[in-house]
Amino acid sequence: MMQALRRSSKMYGAIAAMVPKLYLAYSIWFWMEFVVQILSMTIFVYFWKAVYANSATIAGLDLRQTLNYILLAQILVPVVQNRTIFNFGFLVREGMVGIELLRPMDFQTRYYVESLAGLALSLVLKLPLLLIAWLVFGLTLPSAPAAWGAFALSLLLGQAILFYFDWIFACLAFYSTETWGLSVVREGMALFFSGAILPLNMMPAWLQGVANLLPFAQSLYVPVSFLSGITPVSDAPRAWLVQLVWLVGLVIASRVVFSVSVRKVTVQGG
Amino acid sequence: MPIIRVDNLTKVYRINQKDPGLSGAVKALFRPRHINKVAVDHIHFSVEPGEVVGYIGVNGAGKSTTIKLLTGILMPSAGQVQVMGRDPHRQRVANARDIGVVFGQRSQLWWDLALIESLNLVARIYDVDPARYKQLLDQFSETLELKDLLRVPIRNMSLGQKMRAELAATLIHEPKVVYLDEPTIGLDLIVKERIREFIKEQNRTKGTTVILTTHDLGDIEELCRRVIIIDNGRLIYDGPISTIKDRFGKYRTITFDTLAPVGQPGTDFNIPEGAELVTNGHSAEDRKLVLRFDRTVTSASRVAASLMNEVEVTDFSLSEPGLASIIKQIYNGALAEAEVSEADEAGSQPLSGGHDQDVFGRYCEPSEGVETGP
Repeated sequence: MMQALRRSSKMYGAIAAMVPKLYLAYSIWFWMEFVVQILSMTIFVYFWKAVYANSATIAGLDLRQTLNYILLAQILVPVVQNRTIFNFGFLVREGMVGIELLRPMDFQTRYYVESLAGLALSLVLKLPLLLIAWLVFGLTLPSAPAAWGAFALSLLLGQAILFYFDWIFACLAFYSTETWGLSVVREGMALFFSGAILPLNMMPAWLQGVANLLPFAQSLYVPVSFLSGITPVSDAPRAWLVQLVWLVGLVIASRVVFSVSVRKVTVQGG
Repeated sequence: MPIIRVDNLTKVYRINQKDPGLSGAVKALFRPRHINKVAVDHIHFSVEPGEVVGYIGVNGAGKSTTIKLLTGILMPSAGQVQVMGRDPHRQRVANARDIGVVFGQRSQLWWDLALIESLNLVARIYDVDPARYKQLLDQFSETLELKDLLRVPIRNMSLGQKMRAELAATLIHEPKVVYLDEPTIGLDLIVKERIREFIKEQNRTKGTTVILTTHDLGDIEELCRRVIIIDNGRLIYDGPISTIKDRFGKYRTITFDTLAPVGQPGTDFNIPEGAELVTNGHSAEDRKLVLRFDRTVTSASRVAASLMNEVEVTDFSLSEPGLASIIKQIYNGALAEAEVSEADEAGSQPLSGGHDQDVFGRYCEPSEGVETGP
């Protein structure tokens, strides 16, 4: 048991350690992204300043609170930009899935680890952006460790929720081969319903209802609202419980879907 | 105790059918049609530990599909596979730990990482003991000449370099069974030679079981004593190479260059029993005659003598068929014809040898010529 645990942690640790190496293979990419992010953050700030020109509060939030939320949401947006669905389509279409299935590790866990390491990497890469948000745009962060704790745990749970949610749709690749279209739809929905563009409580009630039926808010809105002070820390246990229910349901569903659909695997191209 | 056991293995693919053109594509949206293609058709065989088995057949015969079934990537439509006592599909992860696979047309290495990074990662994934890893890395760098490549990203490697890197990554955890799916495809003779040597050495020193698919019969002749031939998903031969060589190798071809044109195609010559005229040219102007004879019935001198009685010969050559031409005949259906005629006449086992009927349906290029002067 200990032996197996030691072996797994070593194995998945190696996978996680590979993620930054792959990312940094193309250094130009890093600088490009950095520039794009500063631009988009600036646009968001001026957009919301314009929206607030004629009103002191919208949906109970003043400009300061909204900007705080939006700056944080922009920094944490990688959590909903998981490319699992697209990558799966690529694996199947190019016939690479055969090789990946032959690695001696749990297929799903391996990609979960990659996805988690990818998130950690993006957050590290966002640190300069955080600094700019703080120095230039007046971002304020909570000083209470409890808020940070509530944020960290709900981010971790939220990331997992979205990974397992995406996994279910990614498995469609075993049937349809092509998942590009699906991944585009998913990306758009995720940005909107996760609260990356505007805080969910600014949406009309019916849209909020839709957002609550989808898992996207769990991974971005919930953690960010702890950090931006929209949700008080006292609500944390309830939020975690909701996230846990989502997570357990999706883990079970995704494993069932995978074990059924992997029987359909065909390895394309010779 | 066989290390690989395959029973009644069958794989049926469902293939979407579309009519050509845009209208066909649109029609397929609303009324998808499928056909079932049997890629592997009730195959049986077993492999003992330490064997090197050549698994050959024409393109599309089902070789790669069989490999994918054996490695556990695909689920069989029917039948069973056991590798080291496991079902490779159901116990995919456990099975993967003990095997190594090279797909000649794909790479398991990380495209953007330097080779050494990929190898380190593979070693950690397979939990190779660090001391052992270092030892193997030195060894492999030596035999596969990887020393200068370790810091090079895979994407910058040539095909031959990539394949050497691939083999190192596949064997670094010392798997008990290795599947090599066209490992020498597109490689030059020197790289091929190095790769064959490496595989041979692994098999000799570690008793690694190797299943090899290839179109290069040099690979087969160098590495395998046993071949399995499949055609159209069916197993048509499983046995030693020497048997097919003896069986199909009893025929010899003699080519005569003649002084005068040999006359209209179809002109009759007096030739001894056991020999036959394969071609006497395509036109009246040709100065070449090709004869084939069964050396268990007649001899080269008798064939040559009787022909030389009739025409003036300037030169002639004798050749025995190489493995390539034998395999070509088998792909062309010679084996099936042999089996049918044997079953009709004697009901004996296919390929047991000893029968004397002509199994050559078609003319085959002689491959290993032995020049002999008149």
